[in-house]
Amino acid sequence: MKVLEASGIRKCFGGVVALANGNFSCQAGRITGLLGANGSGKSTLSKIIAGVYRADAGEIRFLDRAVQYRNPNEARKAGIAMVFQNLSLVPDLRVWQNIVLGAETRRGPFLDDRQARRVSQEIVDQLLPGLDIHKLACELNPGEMQIVEIAKAISADPRLLILDEPTAALEKAEVKSLFRFMRSLAERGVAINFTSHRLWEVMEICDEVTIFRNGANVGSIDFAVDGRDPEKIVSCITGVAQKASAAKPARPPSPEIALKVEGLSYGDALKDISFELRKGEILGIGGLAGQGQHELLLALAGCYPGVDCLAEADGKRVRLNRPANAIRNSILLVPGDRELEGLFMKHSVFNNMIFPKLGLARQPVFTPRKQYWAECEAAIDLLSIKAHSLDMPVRALSGGNQQKIVVGRWLSFDAKVLLLADPAKGVDIGAKRDLYRYIADQVREKRVSVILYASDIEELVECCDRLLVMYEGQVIATLEGDDINEETIISTSMKVG
Amino acid sequence: MNGTSIALSGFRRNADKQKKLIIAFLLIVFLFVLGQVAVSNFLSFGQVLLTIKLASFIALFGLCQMIVMVGGGDGLDLSVGYTATLTAVLTASIMNGQNANLGMALLVALAIGLLVGAANGFLAAYVKLPPLIVTLSMSLIVQGGINVYTAGADITGKPSPILQTIAAKSTGVFPNILVVLLVIAPIVMVVLSRTKWGLALLGAGTNETAAFLGGVRVKRVRFASFVISGLLASVIGLLLLGNMGLAFKDMGSNYVMPSIAAAVVGGVSMSGGEGNYFGVILGAIFLQTLTNLLVAIGWGDAGKWLGFGIVLFTLLIVYVSDRRVR
Amino acid sequence: MANNSKGARALRKYLAKPEFSTLLILVAMLILAAFLQRNFFDAKPLNRTLNAFTPLILLAMGQAVVIISGGLDLSAGTALSLLTCVMTSVMHKANPETGLYAILAAFAVAIVIGVVNGIGMGYLRIPSVIATFATSYIWLGAALFLRPTPGGESVAWFKVFYDVKVYANAPPALKAFGAAVPSALTLVLVGCIFWFVLSRTRTGRYIYAVGSNNTSAYESGINTARIQLWACVINSVFIFLAALFFVGQNQSGDARMGDPLTLRAIAAAVVGGVALAGGRGSVFFALIGAVILSLVNKIIFFANIPYAYQTLVSGVIVIIAIASSQGYTLYSRKSMARRGKLA
Repeated sequence: MKVLEASGIRKCFGGVVALANGNFSCQAGRITGLLGANGSGKSTLSKIIAGVYRADAGEIRFLDRAVQYRNPNEARKAGIAMVFQNLSLVPDLRVWQNIVLGAETRRGPFLDDRQARRVSQEIVDQLLPGLDIHKLACELNPGEMQIVEIAKAISADPRLLILDEPTAALEKAEVKSLFRFMRSLAERGVAINFTSHRLWEVMEICDEVTIFRNGANVGSIDFAVDGRDPEKIVSCITGVAQKASAAKPARPPSPEIALKVEGLSYGDALKDISFELRKGEILGIGGLAGQGQHELLLALAGCYPGVDCLAEADGKRVRLNRPANAIRNSILLVPGDRELEGLFMKHSVFNNMIFPKLGLARQPVFTPRKQYWAECEAAIDLLSIKAHSLDMPVRALSGGNQQKIVVGRWLSFDAKVLLLADPAKGVDIGAKRDLYRYIADQVREKRVSVILYASDIEELVECCDRLLVMYEGQVIATLEGDDINEETIISTSMKVG
Repeated sequence: MNGTSIALSGFRRNADKQKKLIIAFLLIVFLFVLGQVAVSNFLSFGQVLLTIKLASFIALFGLCQMIVMVGGGDGLDLSVGYTATLTAVLTASIMNGQNANLGMALLVALAIGLLVGAANGFLAAYVKLPPLIVTLSMSLIVQGGINVYTAGADITGKPSPILQTIAAKSTGVFPNILVVLLVIAPIVMVVLSRTKWGLALLGAGTNETAAFLGGVRVKRVRFASFVISGLLASVIGLLLLGNMGLAFKDMGSNYVMPSIAAAVVGGVSMSGGEGNYFGVILGAIFLQTLTNLLVAIGWGDAGKWLGFGIVLFTLLIVYVSDRRVR
Repeated sequence: MANNSKGARALRKYLAKPEFSTLLILVAMLILAAFLQRNFFDAKPLNRTLNAFTPLILLAMGQAVVIISGGLDLSAGTALSLLTCVMTSVMHKANPETGLYAILAAFAVAIVIGVVNGIGMGYLRIPSVIATFATSYIWLGAALFLRPTPGGESVAWFKVFYDVKVYANAPPALKAFGAAVPSALTLVLVGCIFWFVLSRTRTGRYIYAVGSNNTSAYESGINTARIQLWACVINSVFIFLAALFFVGQNQSGDARMGDPLTLRAIAAAVVGGVALAGGRGSVFFALIGAVILSLVNKIIFFANIPYAYQTLVSGVIVIIAIASSQGYTLYSRKSMARRGKLA
């Protein structure tokens, strides 16, 4: 039974057309995947359906009635619930207060807290048993926060549940648990929309996919009918027939050591980590999510003033107590969350790209605009960044292009060690390919060493020469060569000791 | 409806920074014209210059505000008024109407400003207390310091003639203080947008995490902004002294809130990351012109403040309100 | 880790709360005050103390609500002045009925004040510091219009808001009540009950949500603008209560009387553990913060610190008090998703 049908949806933001002609439908009891590059319109369409945005044109029919919701609350009351990509929890409220936020039951004018706690406990028990619903939202880790977000959507008893990249913060075991829950929800007749940039997830859980490109629906694939063909899906998304994964470029790392780390410890997060990074090598950091991988990269970038370790870059001692030191030694960090950690959204592309230079020691007081301008233009060409002017604000670019700028900043820096913290997170397949191609070039030609942390195991498998598996802040295994495959990584990650 | 119920046209959305300045300027002209219509002689050359002269001090204090606001972290400096007053009170007797001790007075001023600014900066940037409360308490402390000093001895002394020339006198019809302002303004803008320090401050104000990861020492930069604010405030105290001819206990305190208002009206964002000093100057002139106009109309105290509040509020609606596009 | 039992962890969690340090400071202040003023806890001096503290307490509680919702009200002091001027302009000494009209009129004006501030902050999204700075001049102008010089009239029975015993014609029941419970305390209790009830409603919960993360609250379907409006109106009610007390005490209105109270109310709320960033804190602890601040002044007075030094010492103590309450917060609170922790 068709739960939702959207036709002819059009939406512009300022002068940018996000959706030119959006069409979409989904059925009760089926899990429909929405696929498409960043900027293809799928996220915008989901948000319009959920009432976050209002369409400029077009019609939405929910349960066979034409509807137009003015805000997410209206949509939620009608039975459409959306789980957001940008976490929308209130930090200072407790888990159970967050779950019922906006839809609290009342006894007279007063809140019925007992009911709220009961309902929340029920839902949480199904999704993630053991989660303390009395914790404040700010005390949760990202995976738990995502689960609470989903619980919040479920508590509204929706007919249509829209999950917008819910797995980004989850580790594989949690993803499996979520999929089990989704399947049981579907069996109860709920229609589910699911978006993810990870192909394997979409292929595993979805019954059918709808693919978006350039603001319109370019096709649907019903897995039961057409089978699961990743290459066909990718070609629909990018519009070009090409392989889903780039072949691993063959180049042996040199025996010289680019970075040597001994006894890296930081509080509870990192314990006695030691490794050697060779020149021209791509070293991956794997393991279950939240085991210290991100902290390791931050520590190497000099973000923790109290870190305890012996580090040598190119044979020279480095004190990793502040970022400027790391930068001076050409250990450069590409942060994972570009909006929060990487970019100045309202500033121009130019200002963003030259920013790291400001921290360097022998910088002239007056920034040499002409010289930097030329360097920036070279970087934009090299990375195929789609920006029509260096003066345009960075927030006007798409996610993939923004990420390229985060990487491109370091181009003129002559990097020795590149620390990549989930560089392709939330980036569409085309931009992801550009980024990894650029990184591979740097490694091959300039013998740059890379330490890569990716939340998507596929990326690790594709790129890395060696892989350090982390568990609870320690490196518990080093994998090389053929051992770098999904099964081995996962089984090693789960072993303790 | 959430926050979009008042639909003033795309005015705010489309006005970029250049346009804002032009509009500010036009508003000032408008006020003067209004004043001329209401009260003759309002738009005389002398009156205009007098207004600008009075506004200059607001604009100077506004520079202090702009510097700490741009660095982010909810920066503002409520202590500038009393810092200036303390400087004036102490240096008046040092100078005693002579040029000879001007150098000494300047040193004392810088010392005071450094001390206050460093205390503010330490508490706000390193201990991470809210700047509102820190600078508020600091203003109480400095005020207390003034009370202690004046309890024991009367405030004596006059500013050196050089100071008086700069602050109070005019060359021909042109107030000298305006020259000071016009010299400072472009320097400030260049430093802010073209030097590594200015860009680091702007970065810290826009996104402190990104700035930190890019190698900027955010705490140090913000600390420095408070120190500079303190130094500026005490130098302004010298100028205030030069303008008034003597020092008294409440010299500077009435400038604090107007300086913040001037900065905000002039386009400096209270959350940091953007600001144009010419806007602040225009904002100060606007506020002063408005006050003069209301006084000239003869509405008395009540009408003056009522009109001031209503106009400012209306201006803020048009200028500053941050309505989200849904 | 020596003692990881559940009890020890819960205790440590409580100790880490800013409220705990606030209580500590309160106890310390009370001990100091009692030490310096031997008869501190006797009935009459205590009553006088209470009367002196009440305006700040009420203003601090109202301010706390606004701050928790994510705003700030710099116009509270002039609003208070305006309300006193309204009351004393409506009342005529000869006609006891006018007292009632005065109350109604002032309440109406208080609501208007709250609505204007709320629209500025909530609907128009003007930063609250500058919005309330502007509106404070509007209230000041209106107050000066009504009362260019302090004065005005008040009916005799208004005195009950200050001290029932002073009003000769009070009915015996009221007199007995007033003897047991001082009026100031009654007003504060009314404020407490008012907020207690509100905090159990959706509006009360949403005030915290909006202050904690405005965007998240909005995306959860909360009308964030209306909630901020509510917060401002609630603040106005507290200011109204303070105005009742003031007119009851002084029998006159003054356009400038509230000026020094604004910033002190904010400081009191912060001392009481309310986070300036919003979303955290307790209105009742703001009450305690006001008591602490007022005790500081009392202690300075009774310690015979020379008048000249009083402002100085007061400023230092405020910083220390706030540093310790915020210090606990920084130590215990973990930021969401490691945001902001680096810089």
